[in-house]
Amino acid sequence: MTTPTKGKTETVRRLILATLPEATGDNPPIFGAGAPLDSLGLVNFLADLEYRLTEELGREIVLASDRAMSQGRSPFRDVASLTDYIVELLAE
Amino acid sequence: MKTPRVIFITGTSRGLGLGLAEHFLAQGDIVAGCSRAPATLTHERYSHCSLDVSDEPAVVAAVRAAVRQHGHIDALINNAGIATMNHALLSTAAAAQQIFATNFHGTFLFCREVAKTMVRRKSGRIVNFATVATPLRLEGESLYAASKAAVESFTQVLARELGPAGVTVNAVGPTPVPTDLVKNVPRAKMDALLARQAIQRFGTISDVINVVEFFLAPQSEFITGQVIYLGGVSG
Ligand SMILES: NC(=O)c1ccc[n+]([C@@H]2O[C@H](COP(=O)([O-])OP(=O)(O)OC[C@H]3O[C@@H](n4cnc5c(N)ncnc54)[C@H](OP(=O)(O)O)[C@@H]3O)[C@@H](O)[C@H]2O)c1
Repeated sequence: MTTPTKGKTETVRRLILATLPEATGDNPPIFGAGAPLDSLGLVNFLADLEYRLTEELGREIVLASDRAMSQGRSPFRDVASLTDYIVELLAE
Repeated sequence: MKTPRVIFITGTSRGLGLGLAEHFLAQGDIVAGCSRAPATLTHERYSHCSLDVSDEPAVVAAVRAAVRQHGHIDALINNAGIATMNHALLSTAAAAQQIFATNFHGTFLFCREVAKTMVRRKSGRIVNFATVATPLRLEGESLYAASKAAVESFTQVLARELGPAGVTVNAVGPTPVPTDLVKNVPRAKMDALLARQAIQRFGTISDVINVVEFFLAPQSEFITGQVIYLGGVSG
């Protein structure tokens, strides 16, 4: 992994953790069974996060995903998957 | 003096959108507008973006710019729209695509982007544009009526999704109002259409403004998911 990507990954992870209301553990769950957010909570969280990403990185990204509400492979299931998903979006 | 509202209106270069923008500016409100063409309106409280409402990155950028400039958006009025008149069997795939892109995708994109900011503030009003062509099942307007039926359905479901977040979503369904949109409809066709209304006259911009202001009024916080047609047409 090159250094700029690593730096970006850390920034994204930090912003996610700062936006998530109750984050504990190494890879806190976000949405789905046993996770803290309901669907309106997820919408609120993503709206806040988009705003912070724009503020910090100066990039207008849209965190919509066709897999958002699916239980298994949703990029919103935990902090690690969401970090990967956003880093991928930023690379596009 | 009342606090000015921040209102985003799509399709403000002419017709109903221009009339709405002028109305809100006269009320002391702040208006952000857009159309593909450059602004036809200049006012110290008006800002304009030239964009196509179906262009996702342009919509995202315009909404975020408005929020950066004004801090928030109180109301979104999804007025931009196009119409085609043609028999379904003579209509092209390109026309179907274009009409859904503007009327439905444009409405969806603006709703999505503006609602995100409204949900964060737990308040906001969205007004979409329907038409009497949908409930009247107007022959010759199948694509237009269908694209607006999609807008109605979307309005009703979105109202349920955003109800818990304090955001209302409604639609106004005008009868024909003499604007560019209907100028090519033959007179006989128009008379037959007016004859199907309970009150048989053209609509005016003030008729439309009245319904929009009703949805925006603070007292209307318990009204959502509704489509109000003008002229006594019912759904
Ligand atoms: N007038 C009627 O009889 C009537 C009846 C029922 C419902 N409605 C609805 O009322 C709304 C307004 O109609 P109107 O009569 O005022 O129409 P209009 O006079 O033709 O004006 C339409 C406005 O929308 C803008 N627009 C169109 N396509 C756009 C696009 N892809 N991206 C951005 N802006 C776009 C136009 O500007 P540019 O061309 O510069 O983009 C213009 O400012 C529409 O939704 C229509 O369906 C009208």
